[in-house]
Amino acid sequence: MTISTAPVAEPAAADAPTAPARPPRRPAHAREWWLGAALVLPALVLALLFKVVPLVRGVITSFESSSGFGGSEFAGADNYTRMFDDPMVLTSFRNALLVVATLPVWIVVPLVLALLIHQRAPGWKFFRAVYFVPYTIAPIVVGIMFRQILSPDGPVNALLRGVGLEPLAIEWLNGRNSALFSLVAVALWSFFGLGVMTYLAGLATIPEETLEAAYLDGAGFFRRLWSVVVPMLRPTVAYWSVLCASGVLIWLFPLIYALTQGGPGDATMLPEYLVFLTTFQFLDRGYGSAIGIALFVFVALLSIFSVRHMFTEGTRKPR
Amino acid sequence: MNARHSARIGRYLLTFALVVVAVAAVYPLLFTVVSSLKTQSGFANDPLGLPAGITLDNYLEAFRRMDMPRLLLNSLITTLGGLVLSVLAALLVAYAVTKLRFRGGKVVFLLIIVTLTIPSQAIIYPLYQTVLDLGMSGEYQGLILAYAAFGLPLGTYQLAGYFQQVPDELIEAARVDGAGHLTILFRLLAPIATPALAALAIFNFVWMWNDLLLPLVIMGGSDSKTLMVGVSLLSGQYDVSVPLVSAGLIVALLPVLVIYLVFQRQLVAGALAGSGK
Amino acid sequence: MFRRRLAGVLAAGVATAALLTGCGGDDATADGPVTLKVLTWEPGGTEYWKQVKTTFEAGHPDIKLEMQSVPFDKYPEVQGPYITSQSGPDVMANNAGLELFDRRNAYVPLGAKAAEINKDLVTYSGACEGFDTSKPCYGVPFSYQGNVLYYNKAVLTAAGLDPEKPPATWDEFGAACEAVKKSGKTCLALGLSGTFPAYWDFPEIARNYLTEEDVRALLAGKLSWKDPKLVAVLEKLAEITTKGWTNKNAPSITMLPDGADIFQRGDAAFAGTIISDAVNWEAFGKALGDDKLGVTRWPAIDPAAPLAQKFSGIEGAVYGVTQWSKKKEAGLEFITWLAGKENGELWVKHAKGQPLNKNVDKALLPSSPAFLKIQEFVAAPTLHAGVMLSGPEADALARGWQQVTLGQLTVDKWADQMQQALERSPTKKQTK
Repeated sequence: MTISTAPVAEPAAADAPTAPARPPRRPAHAREWWLGAALVLPALVLALLFKVVPLVRGVITSFESSSGFGGSEFAGADNYTRMFDDPMVLTSFRNALLVVATLPVWIVVPLVLALLIHQRAPGWKFFRAVYFVPYTIAPIVVGIMFRQILSPDGPVNALLRGVGLEPLAIEWLNGRNSALFSLVAVALWSFFGLGVMTYLAGLATIPEETLEAAYLDGAGFFRRLWSVVVPMLRPTVAYWSVLCASGVLIWLFPLIYALTQGGPGDATMLPEYLVFLTTFQFLDRGYGSAIGIALFVFVALLSIFSVRHMFTEGTRKPR
Repeated sequence: MNARHSARIGRYLLTFALVVVAVAAVYPLLFTVVSSLKTQSGFANDPLGLPAGITLDNYLEAFRRMDMPRLLLNSLITTLGGLVLSVLAALLVAYAVTKLRFRGGKVVFLLIIVTLTIPSQAIIYPLYQTVLDLGMSGEYQGLILAYAAFGLPLGTYQLAGYFQQVPDELIEAARVDGAGHLTILFRLLAPIATPALAALAIFNFVWMWNDLLLPLVIMGGSDSKTLMVGVSLLSGQYDVSVPLVSAGLIVALLPVLVIYLVFQRQLVAGALAGSGK
Repeated sequence: MFRRRLAGVLAAGVATAALLTGCGGDDATADGPVTLKVLTWEPGGTEYWKQVKTTFEAGHPDIKLEMQSVPFDKYPEVQGPYITSQSGPDVMANNAGLELFDRRNAYVPLGAKAAEINKDLVTYSGACEGFDTSKPCYGVPFSYQGNVLYYNKAVLTAAGLDPEKPPATWDEFGAACEAVKKSGKTCLALGLSGTFPAYWDFPEIARNYLTEEDVRALLAGKLSWKDPKLVAVLEKLAEITTKGWTNKNAPSITMLPDGADIFQRGDAAFAGTIISDAVNWEAFGKALGDDKLGVTRWPAIDPAAPLAQKFSGIEGAVYGVTQWSKKKEAGLEFITWLAGKENGELWVKHAKGQPLNKNVDKALLPSSPAFLKIQEFVAAPTLHAGVMLSGPEADALARGWQQVTLGQLTVDKWADQMQQALERSPTKKQTK
């Protein structure tokens, strides 16, 4: 019965256009409008019900004070002013900024790997297939896996000790900075394959000759890369950046959950985990919603350019 | 000569770099597989090395504790449902926005892609309340619709970008031949967009199958819970050992992995062609 | 013009939504047996809960159980919305103590029936307001829980210590730890993430400084964290890690499963865990061998303190009937059964936990030496200070301890943060 949402629109739409293909112009126009409305309806309902309505309810809750599971009352902007005095909230957004600062790495690393694969080194198809594997593993699974891998006597440190880099074999999840850095690295591990695939898709659209000219000549390889290949890849880079900018904080959530729970102290506390903690563990729904709304604003600001880009991409006519 | 020599060295370096990354990509998986084949004491004595003897007990135990066929079925129904619905809805919107004279279309398009910036964590509580109000908590359709809604923005964006590239004259020609809008959409545009659809399908399949937060709050702990929730139930239990959890993890990620490996060629081809030109 | 169109679209959307909702509900409450929805995190393990379902249904053909099992660490996410929306399962569980009290408006008070239902239980005060059975009680516990210190006799022997005489005082414990460290093992296996420090470690230190009155004041939010007694507790907690008695990665791991795993694989001399549910004598005995496993109280800091030789006991999960249930009668029947002898014996047999029911067949009780030792401890119970902490306090305790361990925070600052957390606690700040 659920699946019916989409097909519901269909039959009505289906017979509409078939009958009168010969136009009296005006009514056709109106009919096309109604058809359009019918076509966007399922998507609109979905977006409203499962995104916009909850967001609005979140905004309403953020102006309420609720104590435990008792009733709630209007509290004005209390929850918002409280955030500015709460060191945990401030730290969480500071950490979020640090994570966002790693975005260039997210954008460049897959690009470089995609370019390497695109050189058609022996076995390139194999690498292409293998790089995508981490992405297919569920984040929660990744988190549990890396709990073993990053442990003080785990494989990472065993390797470092083995190659004589003993001093680098640290307690990865214990340090103020190394903990957050490790989380980001694990997230990057699990998503870089998607990036590589995306870039390869973009590279496939660039004419072979252009690329070959750029590659063959050993000297000035990087300069050509920068001046010839990257500009042609712009739409792909933009798309991948959109995905990363809007996703990176969300991708970290299950990892925080499985690996650090925001600790040690508040070293890996991010806003989305704080929302969860405040709402579900501290039973402070009003305050939790306020932090959630602040997070929404943060992400929205971050992706405002991406959305603008997406909008123009989707609506611009090809030249 | 010299240039050739350095090109050769470059080749080696290149391959070496690719191999290092490949090892890094699959090692955690191998580590987990190896751990899952160890006994509890075997893992305790030597967490890093190869197992002295292989045991399948952890898999048997994982299967015993989880109602695997049911969990798989639940995951399949919700993932496919969400996947099909979100792609279908995105197709319809993309067509309406790009190929119809539909005033207000841009506003709708903007509204839908803007919802990309609403993180599920920020609204998870009111989202759940809304699902409860709709009477869909613990029901397949609740999760399917939520998946569809969360998969919508990217799908709409990708397909719209794709359709935009199709010349309007092509559509006009089809119209003149008497094709209806849906015929045009499903018989003409969709086949052209097959690569994009394939890329979208794998992307959605992976995240919907792997998602934990939405199924957790929407399905609760009911019999309709997904495989991922089942696995985290296993690892959330007190008495679980690393090898047993590892077995559960492998079981959970195997379906996606198998699907990926089986359809790898098509998917890559799809993804490669799918970025549209 | 545009606005009218938008309104039309919206109206259509709402109509579709209504349609979907109509399809959504499928309450097929026909004449057949009543189906009870039970929300649980499966304390005691899957096997035990399977037994509960089959055994109960066999004895009550008119009631069917539909278990909704949620992972322990994800329980609040599922339960929270049920409570605020006043809908969902007919029977659900919360841990005795503040967790239950915070959610008491979700449960039907048992009233006069409480004494009758729970008559065969050793204690059930944890299900009642303020641990007072004369006040409203909200459900039925059937397991008993509390903290002990398990130790690995082999590790003690290797360190030149007498495995039959584990350290009984704080100083002896310190000396033992130095010896164990010299032998190359970890002294105390510990994980400081999550709520485990609050529930498993804090009460054992607190017993040396607090009276039962103080513990009740802690529950009511009337004991300040700047009170010298509580500051002293924090100082002793800090000592455990700053003196290097624990594994180095303690600040970044959870006691379960990673901390307990260190002990379980024989790398640590001691582990402070619990008597029921898991990581108990049963699990450790299986991993290390029953003869290698010893159990003792946490070392006494002040042996003369009134609660120093007592056992911080607490009822395990409390199952109650929800306010919004339409099947309250059947729900009551089920929880009454949970308190009974039949379930008590299932609990002993399949969950290997400490039962609360007095009538459980003694022959079923395990013969493990550690289990028998535990029976001596639980005979002298007192209040459990850990379950008196609110969510924010338990969280601040763990985070503060992590930072103190890593040298990023002083104990005084930690106490400040604890006090702020107390003032942030939804239920505690009201009672002040």
